[in-house]
Amino acid sequence: MKKRLISALMVSAMCLSLTACGGSGGDSSDGGSSGGSSSGALRVAIWDNNQQPGIQEICDLFTEETGIEVQVEVKEWDSYWTLLEAGASGGDMPDVFWMHANNSQIYMNNDMLLKLDDYIDKSDKIDMSKYLPQVTALYTYDDSYYAIPKDYDTIALWYNKTMFDEAQMEYPNENWTWDDMYEAAKKLTDKDAKKYGYAMNVTNDQDSYWNMIYSKGGYVLSEDHKTSGYDDAKTLEAMEFVGKLLTDVCPPASVMAETQTDILFESGTVAMITQGSWMVPAFKQNEYTAEHCDVAMLPYDKETGIRATICNGLGWAAAASTKRPDDCWKLIEWLGSEEMQFKQAELGVTMSAYEGTSDAWAGNTDLFDLTGHLAMAEESTVEGVENLIVEYPFTYNAVKWTSQCQKDLVPAWDDPSQMEDKCKEFAKTMNDIIASESK
Amino acid sequence: MHSMETRRKVERIVVHVVLIFFSIIMLVPFIWMLLTAFKSVSEATQIDPFVIFPTVWTSEAFSKVWSNMNFLLLYKNTLLLIFWRVVCAVLTATLAGYAFGRLEFKGKNFMFSLVLFQMMIPAQIFIIPQYLMVSKIGMTNTIFALVFPGIVTAFGTFLLKTAYMGLPVSLEEAARLDGCNIFQSFLFIMSPLTRSSMVALGIFTAVFAYKDLMWPLVVNSSANMMPLSAALATMQGQYQSNYPQLMAASAIACVPMIVLYLLFQKQFIEGIATSGGKL
Amino acid sequence: MTNSKSEAKAPAKQKMTTWEKNQLFWGWLFIIPTMAGLIILNLYPIVNTIYQSMCKTGDFGKGNVFVGFANFSRMFGDSEVWQALINTIKYAIIEVPFSICFALVLAVLLNRKMVGRSAYRAIFFLPMIVAPAAVAMVWRWLYNSQFGLLNNLFGLKVEWISNPKIAWISIAVIGVWSILGYNIVLFISGLQEIPHDYYEAADIDGASGIQAFFNITVPLLSPTIFFVLITRVIGALQVFDLIYMVMDQSNKALPKVESLVYLFYRESFDFGDKGYGSTIVVLLLAVILVVTVFQMIGQKKWVHYE
Repeated sequence: MKKRLISALMVSAMCLSLTACGGSGGDSSDGGSSGGSSSGALRVAIWDNNQQPGIQEICDLFTEETGIEVQVEVKEWDSYWTLLEAGASGGDMPDVFWMHANNSQIYMNNDMLLKLDDYIDKSDKIDMSKYLPQVTALYTYDDSYYAIPKDYDTIALWYNKTMFDEAQMEYPNENWTWDDMYEAAKKLTDKDAKKYGYAMNVTNDQDSYWNMIYSKGGYVLSEDHKTSGYDDAKTLEAMEFVGKLLTDVCPPASVMAETQTDILFESGTVAMITQGSWMVPAFKQNEYTAEHCDVAMLPYDKETGIRATICNGLGWAAAASTKRPDDCWKLIEWLGSEEMQFKQAELGVTMSAYEGTSDAWAGNTDLFDLTGHLAMAEESTVEGVENLIVEYPFTYNAVKWTSQCQKDLVPAWDDPSQMEDKCKEFAKTMNDIIASESK
Repeated sequence: MHSMETRRKVERIVVHVVLIFFSIIMLVPFIWMLLTAFKSVSEATQIDPFVIFPTVWTSEAFSKVWSNMNFLLLYKNTLLLIFWRVVCAVLTATLAGYAFGRLEFKGKNFMFSLVLFQMMIPAQIFIIPQYLMVSKIGMTNTIFALVFPGIVTAFGTFLLKTAYMGLPVSLEEAARLDGCNIFQSFLFIMSPLTRSSMVALGIFTAVFAYKDLMWPLVVNSSANMMPLSAALATMQGQYQSNYPQLMAASAIACVPMIVLYLLFQKQFIEGIATSGGKL
Repeated sequence: MTNSKSEAKAPAKQKMTTWEKNQLFWGWLFIIPTMAGLIILNLYPIVNTIYQSMCKTGDFGKGNVFVGFANFSRMFGDSEVWQALINTIKYAIIEVPFSICFALVLAVLLNRKMVGRSAYRAIFFLPMIVAPAAVAMVWRWLYNSQFGLLNNLFGLKVEWISNPKIAWISIAVIGVWSILGYNIVLFISGLQEIPHDYYEAADIDGASGIQAFFNITVPLLSPTIFFVLITRVIGALQVFDLIYMVMDQSNKALPKVESLVYLFYRESFDFGDKGYGSTIVVLLLAVILVVTVFQMIGQKKWVHYE
């Protein structure tokens, strides 16, 4: 019996090694090609396929300059964060990567990102005051910098020229108030013909109703990032206006949920939407919008005289656990340098966070007049109107309450008469969520 | 006799009508994929009026993705992934399936309940722990990493156990009387009889490996070690997708699967020729 | 039909015979690769999940605090979880029987000798390899209430995926559709193991096709049907992708459609609350376990092994 047992163990060990061989056999036939490229190159991870060619070009220039190889990896948004989290939890993180305001607090709080203060002090290329302060703030934690701003985005009013022409109406412009926009949208709405003046889904927070809230003097999140503004009187006023738009000039809520608002716009069923500058590549690529559409500034509010845009931006960060922090910094410094920020804008990758680069971006296409997006973040040229750039509202775990908000306001979208109640209810939920955030 | 003939004929027509009906329903997305690939970007997302056929057939999407993506490399990675997964799955599942289905031994029921237990867990919870294992042994960005979670299969073990249980007892008894030991009767008598289940498992393993998305995306982040599914997923931007290009790439990605299917189908038909079967 | 199990079990009480020792040896040898793999790959994550369900988890897997059953008591008071459980079960009740019945009939038809058989088989195989994005796109547009094909073709005004009363059925229809091919492949492979002479005998007796189907095919195929049933019930109770791809977060019908895995995914991956996410998985596991055990007991009544 004993002999049996030993031989059984031996055979089972063989079996195990056999299965292991099965796997590693495949590996050995390919190990060579992958091993070579990943060990020498810095791994850079991004999530937007549209930006890949431009970023690659800038990284290639870096390799030419320094001799440090760079490998740019594009992931799809969901798996990007899964990978980064898995990497941070004990695997290997990419060396240099994009950070987003929704997640930056968690990563900075847990020391997952390389602290850049000392590098910035010594650098002659990076001066933090040159970047849009609203973006810098997103990646500053306990007065330390953890990422160099890469870009920023603003919201503007996109409109369908053809639909305005057919109705013989004047195009939207910087003198419009929200009431002007409402009136125009009303004229353009013909519910029987399934044509609508405006569309705004409950998920379009950053790119639609948040801007209205700030424009009308309300707020989403208090300045200390601790309390909800959804029960603020001004916010509720703004949300009442949102309800008016939904009732009179928008497609039914279910249609907007089934078909995203940008697709409704791209199909010529909706005359206006408010959208972020991140959509420019998509609108450029789409033959319909390229031919029929253009963009203007967001309207302002008549009473407050405020024109507001939420401003978010990505940052270039490095992993705290990277084995080559100095090389990482060199790359981040390169990507954040004035010259390369210009290059990024010129290539039309995105608006760059570095001051004075906007004209370069505006020139990346002649299909649209992109000054609408840029002017949102500049001094106002209209008398009596103030342009307000609102820092993206973040807390420790902003995904949780933004996502909860999109869910809790669904009934209000369906039946706008519930708007006030639902907003007040949500304010309580949001305060609870923020209070329970682990920190 | 005559009525029998007409009955058969009517039956045959009914069968074809049913099959054609279901075929159309099954094919809709496939056809849709191809139609979208030939459309322009705006037509692809056009909803009012709803565009079924492209007004201008353009193959621009195909040529763009073909030049942008290294399909030959992707084919190679995908085929290696499928090959090793199928080999591992069929090998381990056949052995285990036979043991669970035909043999009696201590601990069998407990072990089999572990197999079932594994199937009850949503696959999403395995991704991060398995990634950490691969990462600890420094094997990310290899074919081994791609194959790793598919080395064994609970589903396949269960499938082959079922297949073995369905075989007549008499076969094995005869083999035993002829002096075969368990391994011999497994190898020469029993396993050939479950060939069609092995083929089915092969098909499943191949399709699952081909469609597996989250795992390759997480474990093989380097572009030149990705299989097709992962490379396709990176084409989708955070905010929007170029649908014609996405669909064109998906269509090109289907090619190796169709080729593999044609090879497998031959196996399928042969199985029928020996056992036959009619309604 | 003799039962091999009971036959082999009978003399087990006495001292082991050589035959039994042989079985013990080869049995373990054969299952070791699979069991070793499953234990390494899956057992640890499962145990870890069960442990996490009793923790308040920290970020990045650090700083987990054991909280006993706090997550469970939170879950028992969470009406969303119970609604999701009901949704999941409703989904399974549609998906499982329909996908099995359709697939069974189609597999039997495809198993006959006839013109175009290989073409049909290829057609039923193709959807399995279509990009998920194409599948989601098609269905979203078929169902679109204002611009969709279904409503425009038949002049309806149904909110297929936005009406909370209908949406779960619409989703289940996609489920049936997308799983049909898999079930057909399994049934075809099972059908091939049925000896041909049974049908010949039935034919001589003048049995119709339908009689043969119920008296020969179904009983002889019962092990495969049982297999498909078990795996499909488990699969259906784990439904996630379909809902995730087809229903937008702002869809008002989502609360009446979202499944347990959907909630788990949102809690664990979107909100980063691994602990509560794990608790939901444990609930799902318990439900699947109970359902599967009942099926295992029930099988003795209708599953025939030769």
